[in-house]
Amino acid sequence: ASDTSKEQAKYDLSSGSNKKVILLPCRNPPSRERVQLWLEARRQYESLQTGL
Amino acid sequence: MTTLTRQDLNFGQVVADILCEFLEVAIHLILYVREVYPSGIFQKRKKYNVPVQNDAEKVVVVIMDKEHHPVERFVFEMSQPPLLSISSDTLLSHVEQLLRAFILKISVCDAVLNNNPPGCSFSVLVHTRDAATRNMEKVQVIKDFPWIVADEQEAHMQEPRLIPLKTMTSDIVKMQLYVEERAQKT
Repeated sequence: ASDTSKEQAKYDLSSGSNKKVILLPCRNPPSRERVQLWLEARRQYESLQTGL
Repeated sequence: MTTLTRQDLNFGQVVADILCEFLEVAIHLILYVREVYPSGIFQKRKKYNVPVQNDAEKVVVVIMDKEHHPVERFVFEMSQPPLLSISSDTLLSHVEQLLRAFILKISVCDAVLNNNPPGCSFSVLVHTRDAATRNMEKVQVIKDFPWIVADEQEAHMQEPRLIPLKTMTSDIVKMQLYVEERAQKT
């Protein structure tokens, strides 16, 4: 069903119609685990900075 | 009091700027309140900038479980009332007050929602028109951050519980916010 809707969307674009479409970013947001790692690295960096 | 017409201040751009600023704050707050990310990454700010097309009819923040199935959908439905002129006072203070009420409602929405399963992620869906997508493709910032047509499973949730959060009607925009919550989250 999703392939059909994508084909329909392509057709609609090429035909110049103005139908409703639902868009989302192609890129995924960072995972919680990755953000957690970043946060931990930042804390370590800040503690090193204050320790100097 | 100065009265400004749509032509005087590029009405559409002003509306878009106000809504973009509001949506950025609202999306960050949803991610914080619903614990999608660790609270340490969020900083307290007093003021309420997410690029969104002027032609967006609906912006949906979708929170998904580990299998990428939606568990919650925060739906911002927007439309523009047919008004010929607006006042600067109305634009700057009244609308911000109304939008502030949305932010406050989001900040306490966890009281009426069930906890989400661990490992959730999110996405933002924009309901718009073909003509808007053709305009988007010409903008460099969109070329660097491309948008695609959503799949059916990303766009809809089966038999959700509906939780109305807030509605507003102002001179520049009409908006309602509600949450669709999946009955069984785990």
